[in-house]
Amino acid sequence: MLRSGPTGARNAPALEQINAEVFTLTYGSIVRQLISDYEDIEEVNKQLEQMGYNMGIRLVDEFLAKAKISRCSSFRDTAEVVAKQALPMFLNVSANVTNWSPDQTECSLVLTDNPLADFVELPDEYRELRYCNVLAGVVRGALEMVNMDVECRWAADMLRGDDCYELRLKLKEHRDEKFPYKDDD
Amino acid sequence: MGIACVAFIGPQNNPMYLRSIDPASDDLYMKLHYVIHCSLDAVEEKVMLKRGPGDSQDAYLGLLYPTEDYKVYGYLTNTHIKIILLLDDEGPVKDEAVMRVFRRLHGLYVDTASNPFHKFGLPLSSPRFDGAVDGIVAIYRGAGASQGGFMT
Repeated sequence: MLRSGPTGARNAPALEQINAEVFTLTYGSIVRQLISDYEDIEEVNKQLEQMGYNMGIRLVDEFLAKAKISRCSSFRDTAEVVAKQALPMFLNVSANVTNWSPDQTECSLVLTDNPLADFVELPDEYRELRYCNVLAGVVRGALEMVNMDVECRWAADMLRGDDCYELRLKLKEHRDEKFPYKDDD
Repeated sequence: MGIACVAFIGPQNNPMYLRSIDPASDDLYMKLHYVIHCSLDAVEEKVMLKRGPGDSQDAYLGLLYPTEDYKVYGYLTNTHIKIILLLDDEGPVKDEAVMRVFRRLHGLYVDTASNPFHKFGLPLSSPRFDGAVDGIVAIYRGAGASQGGFMT
């Protein structure tokens, strides 16, 4: 995913840019094509999330290489980094982290603007479609590569009439590092 | 005073959107349909006239023809979408004001067409489009176009 839009976050390192409308229209045609291929909206949602997951596991390396961030000490830090550095770098939008659960494992990333969904108006027959599900998959995939199992789902969607985009992020567990060889060989 | 009716007509002269700003009775609706239909001929005439002497193709066609109640203004995009405005202003109407309205309507159409779920050729039926048309018409009305310009 290349960074779109003419202006960027001030601290984001230089990445190749793509015209925002080309990006939005490309994503729109992907969604349209998926709908006509699968015909079942839940299946389309799952496919979008899977596509996002495949992108996320690759994007995380690019992000960590380009952004010079230190190790995150807690899930709170991780959420802040995703909202304030990763999203601006790739999508040119920044998010706010709110609604922390009491045990600090669940939070909401709130976006007021989403370049994936510019100009989109969901017709009534696609009311169940989670149009931006690819983003949920990207976050899940990226965090899985750094050993955090999270669950990402959309709690609020402007295309469905809510007043912002809210991604609910829930940490399920920290996985231990898996090594491809056994220690006693 | 102001804009009485907005219509969008597609490249094959198929009606895509026809909206009367004041709530219209069925009779009035038929009359508006009729006026818009006649204006299509006027559009073609103007287009042919313009092409003849080698004039540059402008989108804004100006006053197409005045009827007893309305003045009909036309705008033709490069993709042969026609936007027709019916004004019932009594006084002189500023061309720039009408041009600005047309440009905003054109921009609105472009945004709507960029929606991945938009189907070309079918009538436009989104509530967001209706709301935006209302907004554009309100600006024209509010500024009193016959007195001066307004901020776009």
